[in-house]
Amino acid sequence: MSITVELTYDLAKLLGTRHLELEGAATVGDALRLTRVHFAEQQADFDRLTRVTALAVNGVLINHRNLWATPLAPGDRVSFLKAAAGG
Amino acid sequence: MIKGYANRILEVDLAARTFSFQPLDDEIARLYIGGKGYGTRLLYDTTKPGIDALGPENPLIFATGPLNGSLAPQSNRFAVVCKSPLTGGIGNAACGGSFALGLKKAGLDVLVIRNQSPTPLRLEVDGDAGTVAFVDATELWGRGTSATQEALGKSGYHAVIGPAGENQVLYAGIVSQERIAGRTGVGAVMGSKRLKAITVKGTAKLEMEDEEKFKAYTKWLRQHFRAHPVLGEKLRRYGTMGIVNTTNGRNILPTHNFRFGHHPHAMQLSGEYLEDNGLVGVKSSCIHCPVACGRDVMVDGARVKGPEYETVALLGTNLDIVDIKQVSEWNQLADDLGMDTISLGVTLGFAMELQELGMLETDLAFGKPEGISAMIRDIAFRRGLGDDLAQGVKRLSEKYGGWSFAMHVKGLELSAYDPRGSYAQGVEYATTNRGGCHVQGASMYMESTGPLTINPQSLRLKAELPVVQQNLACALNAMVLCMFSTYGIIPAFVHRMDPNSFLYRMLVGAFERSGPMYRWLLGLKVRPLLWFEQWLTYITGQTFTSGHLQEIGARIFNLERMYNLREGLTGQDDTLPPRMLHEPTFKHLHSGVPLDSLLPRYYQIRGWDAQGVPLPRTLKKLQVRV
Repeated sequence: MSITVELTYDLAKLLGTRHLELEGAATVGDALRLTRVHFAEQQADFDRLTRVTALAVNGVLINHRNLWATPLAPGDRVSFLKAAAGG
Repeated sequence: MIKGYANRILEVDLAARTFSFQPLDDEIARLYIGGKGYGTRLLYDTTKPGIDALGPENPLIFATGPLNGSLAPQSNRFAVVCKSPLTGGIGNAACGGSFALGLKKAGLDVLVIRNQSPTPLRLEVDGDAGTVAFVDATELWGRGTSATQEALGKSGYHAVIGPAGENQVLYAGIVSQERIAGRTGVGAVMGSKRLKAITVKGTAKLEMEDEEKFKAYTKWLRQHFRAHPVLGEKLRRYGTMGIVNTTNGRNILPTHNFRFGHHPHAMQLSGEYLEDNGLVGVKSSCIHCPVACGRDVMVDGARVKGPEYETVALLGTNLDIVDIKQVSEWNQLADDLGMDTISLGVTLGFAMELQELGMLETDLAFGKPEGISAMIRDIAFRRGLGDDLAQGVKRLSEKYGGWSFAMHVKGLELSAYDPRGSYAQGVEYATTNRGGCHVQGASMYMESTGPLTINPQSLRLKAELPVVQQNLACALNAMVLCMFSTYGIIPAFVHRMDPNSFLYRMLVGAFERSGPMYRWLLGLKVRPLLWFEQWLTYITGQTFTSGHLQEIGARIFNLERMYNLREGLTGQDDTLPPRMLHEPTFKHLHSGVPLDSLLPRYYQIRGWDAQGVPLPRTLKKLQVRV
């Protein structure tokens, strides 16, 4: 099962890519763990940059759902998000 | 006389070439503050029902509020009010730049332009001398907004239109410096009067009730704003384009004429990308604003005015184009021609979808930048297909079909937040009196983009939040204050909270369930707490609290509603484009915005009947005279 992880701008800069294709992530918790593996060399930065980051599955925030247990389906998009303001 | 006002209104008749100064009506100022509130009251009282928005009977009202002319951050904005040629209902737009300061220096609270000139004209208002010069503007006619302002020189403060306004493009705006009163076609009304420009000057000073307290408080507040995570960091560093990656991740970034809410390469339009790639030139601000959300963009070595979020979304991803240089060029072009980039982007997107479906013959196509610059010019000068596009999405759909994906409410094109990922914003779009606009409440900040976001896809708080936000926005537009000021309300510590933590979820859960309590709390008239309440209190000497502002905002909102009803709009117009109601963009959703479930509750909270008409007791309670 393949899902896409969309990183924040800062995380993408750190890793050199905006998107990650992950195999075998059944839940958001799995996706988070597998994403962290990609940042093996920059764990401290990853933790710092995700401290106030929300996660959404196909645009829907998981903190209103089952948090890390939120299930994933093939083709889902998990996004790391920061609060922002525009207009 | 209330402090904070110049106590003077200037009425100008362009046909008779006469003018007169009138005293400000204290009663209206007390009930409606100024800006949009005062302007709407004047429009309602001095026009007959059913006038032609582009005819001589439609006045063009420029209005300031008691904060304008002060050193309060984000306060130098003016409101323009008239009947909208785009919607047929209430028309209004607010604008930064310098014109608000100029009006106050000229000793004017309100400037009312009546009738039409037979030939191109500009006005020179000298507030100190108490004179108005009617100057031939034939040589300026046809010039862009930049060249016009340049020709007018640095003496005085200017508000001008470009060719789009002259040719009565229904979404033409009025420009002050590099800012535009863009929405609802106020520039077309100015163009219909053959009024190219207004220059105001004078040396009047704003009188305050307690200047010392105002100054000390404002000094402290500037520091607070500079240290705030949104006002001092994010908006200051990335501008409004700093929100692109967030709206994209939340599936609310208009893409392919709002068919989708996500574009895989949207990052290339973000404020972060701009900064990293050395594309940001000089950052700019309105007068006295410490946020400086504006910025220039470097395009092939040349500095051009940078686009805002709305523009990169609607002239960018909405057209399947993610080239920031290209979007910046179109933004610059649209500003110079004097038209609203929101309506422009949505209209172009709609034309592209019509083309895709074989309903319109044009070279315009999604993902294809070629031909767009030429079409923008054709729109401004009403040439060929541009003449159709100059009338906006609603009229375009009436001619070519496609009403189900014509992205407008009441004729005003939608802003760049897809309401399917932001239900309260959907209610706000549907019910806002001027049509599909985001700055008449900005509920999306509390449910989709901000640091403390309720669940956007549940029904909780989705009727209450728009009411409170719309009321607040009406009050701010009466002061006239930038909506961004409200971003400072959520304290810094909330921005540092982990959105997945127990405490955060508990706070959000309590907020979602607060319903009537939330409205009751904001309705309290205890003491001035927030900065705009404090400023108003220090300047005017009257006490303003959250409760006062909610009440005044509701008064303005209901008066606007009564104006719309008088002009023939009904509750049937409180809706969203069928695409927003029936087509899901989220995998987890089965439909769009559940407006049918939310609208009756919204009407009830407003004190309206089931058809969306304010009840007599509501109008009486709010002292709305009709």
